[in-house]
Amino acid sequence: MTINIDDKNNENQVEESSRRNFIFGSVAAAGLTIAPGVMLYQTAGARSLSDFSLSEKASSNVRWGMLVDTTKQVDWNKCVEACNKEHGLNNETHSRDDQKTQYIRVVNVKNKGTGYSMSLPVMCQHCENAPCVDVCPTGASMKRADGIVLVDRHRCIGCRYCMMACPYKARSFVHEVLTDQTENTPRGKGCVESCNMCVNRIDNGQLPACVEASEGAIIFGDLNDPQSDISQLLAKHGSRQIRADLKLNPGVHYQGI
Amino acid sequence: MGLHLNLSLHKLPFMLVGVAFIATSSIVNAGQSELGPRVTIPESSGDKCILPASEMRRRHPDLLKHDRIQTLREGLRANADGSMLDGSLKQCVNCHAIKSDDKYVRIDNNEHFCVSCHKYAAVSIDCFQCHRDIPEGSSNFHALSGTKKHYGNVLPGVYTLTNKDVANIAPEVRSDDN
Repeated sequence: MTINIDDKNNENQVEESSRRNFIFGSVAAAGLTIAPGVMLYQTAGARSLSDFSLSEKASSNVRWGMLVDTTKQVDWNKCVEACNKEHGLNNETHSRDDQKTQYIRVVNVKNKGTGYSMSLPVMCQHCENAPCVDVCPTGASMKRADGIVLVDRHRCIGCRYCMMACPYKARSFVHEVLTDQTENTPRGKGCVESCNMCVNRIDNGQLPACVEASEGAIIFGDLNDPQSDISQLLAKHGSRQIRADLKLNPGVHYQGI
Repeated sequence: MGLHLNLSLHKLPFMLVGVAFIATSSIVNAGQSELGPRVTIPESSGDKCILPASEMRRRHPDLLKHDRIQTLREGLRANADGSMLDGSLKQCVNCHAIKSDDKYVRIDNNEHFCVSCHKYAAVSIDCFQCHRDIPEGSSNFHALSGTKKHYGNVLPGVYTLTNKDVANIAPEVRSDDN
């Protein structure tokens, strides 16, 4: 993989600003260009998820992202179920339904004028400029080097500023004592939590649970790698980000909304 | 003045008893190597722990804290050779889970490995408010074998805390890197 100035100029013709930002980002990540076509160093090229291992630190060469194709007629509740199973969610016994933790919400939208309706899964959008990370007073809300936004429950004091800051309503607060958590997703009373893109699975070279359950409607991959499936699809078909006007550059892209 | 003297004389027997009591108790303490009630170290599965027991007693909080930062914030979940990190709470639980009537005992039970000692030491831990307190069927690491083995240097049984142990509980283990 070689990216030089010429490539960059060509790709600038992609209309979408977010796409353009992303291309600039990947050029910066690919290496320092001292002259067109001459690279001081370059990244390793396409790496599949299975190349990553538990013994490797999260790297800023990678930015994990998802592309949700809402035009595919998929029952998004299957993804929610897979998510609940993976993270041991929905085990609250005292909380009201609107208090229970949701990592993925299925949002139904309808155009009253035309009658067109659709549904889409909305989870943590893993913003590049995450407002939840900005507002957290303890540093519990954090962005990992590979772009995954997480809550460090060791530091979370449950103040819920991040829930107010998040424009996607992606975070939940645990209101009651929990038992029988899963091994890989420790969660408990008094902490805020949200979709963590299944970090434990990614670190182990596996796809996130919702991606596996989505029958191909959610594509997962490295946004920084132009050779990855997700980057190729984004380059070919474009995408939309929810509330792109906020310029948070979410890692979750949508098609068909 | 006379009144004062009278009062003092009146108290003298009590004072003597008090002095005698302090003297005898310190003599008894000096000759005693065991302190307080007894603590039970339960059996564990697995061949050996990552460090000798005396080291684990001192350093387990540090190990856990250090590696939780590596795991969560840096995404490093195993050593280069694929073995688990020293401070993997998951692995602690996998080896040290206690079974009673063929069921794992939960954290609210005094027989739970961590509770058995922490209750004795009156140190409350909140790890298990979030973390799973018993092994899970599907584990990234080796599954708990059905047979219980004694591991390393600590044999299961009843132990008492000695003066040496108390001296061993060093203040530096309470370093708060968080």
